[in-house]
Amino acid sequence: MNMLPGPAQAAAIGLSVALPLLLLCYARIAATGGSGRRFRLGCVSIIAFYAIACIALPGQRRFDDVLGGLFLLGTAMMFCYILFSLLAWGFTLTLLTALVQAGRPLTLEQWAVAYMQGGDLGTFTHNRLKLLVGAGMVITADGSLTPTAKGVAIARLVKFVRLSTGLG
Amino acid sequence: MSFVVGLFAAVMFALLAPALQLMARARGWTLGAVMLLAIAAIVTHGLGVMLGIFVVTQFQYWDAASIFGFCVMGYVFAFGAVYKSVSLDILLSVIHRPERRAPLSDIVERQVPALFQGRIGNLVDSGLVEPVDSHFAATAAGRTLAGRVGQLRRAFGIGDTSLYDFSD
Repeated sequence: MNMLPGPAQAAAIGLSVALPLLLLCYARIAATGGSGRRFRLGCVSIIAFYAIACIALPGQRRFDDVLGGLFLLGTAMMFCYILFSLLAWGFTLTLLTALVQAGRPLTLEQWAVAYMQGGDLGTFTHNRLKLLVGAGMVITADGSLTPTAKGVAIARLVKFVRLSTGLG
Repeated sequence: MSFVVGLFAAVMFALLAPALQLMARARGWTLGAVMLLAIAAIVTHGLGVMLGIFVVTQFQYWDAASIFGFCVMGYVFAFGAVYKSVSLDILLSVIHRPERRAPLSDIVERQVPALFQGRIGNLVDSGLVEPVDSHFAATAAGRTLAGRVGQLRRAFGIGDTSLYDFSD
């Protein structure tokens, strides 16, 4: 068994470690925008660095080495995205931080207000609905929510994924 | 050939992971969904490496590990996207209605508060929050976790609202 990664794979491993560090650096640059945009920028930067490494590294590139490197980069990006999205958009985690920031025990209603930083759950609902509407999964008309054909297809896919991953 | 071994290990993971989730639910195991995914990943990765050593004469560990990692992370990514997603819960609830239409007021006043209470239940069950009379207070573990989350959010320049930023 050969445990040594190829040159491109070694570069990909290094860049995978560098991705969170790059995101930390981008967080200090205001021009990089919000969390989502900054993450996309980090991914694009890492892919660009990988392409440069593949060209600049000495010796001839092997296809399996480059392909393996791309898989490793993809793995790192998905792993970082899962953690990053949990920090940025995690509902349960933000409920907890809101309660701690309040500094005192809260009733259910007070907790909802603290969570929305003065707003209410309606603001939160509309924010999540905006995602569904923006993605073309639902339309709102006459105070009602109706799924589009795309929404129905996505819902079927979600049910399939839930079933096949054991979530039921 | 090493890529094929990695892919085979990923297929084993895709079979073992849902089986573990279903067994955990049926037998009332206390292990969380993420822990079960980690166990499935470690076991199938180990089996894949052993298979590679015995079957492939020049087994390239990183070729197998790269495709295995990519497929497993893709699985975890899909799992995370459908596991406790507020937006998808709203979409599914609309689809499940016989008329496939839901009043917005019903979602704002009934469904989202129910989701809110469900997540509070999760926090209480995991020992991060405790009910005090009609109030809720963070436990020491909850405060520690919230403190760490706050530090990470500050470091990565992430806001603490958990709302999607559509200008992003």
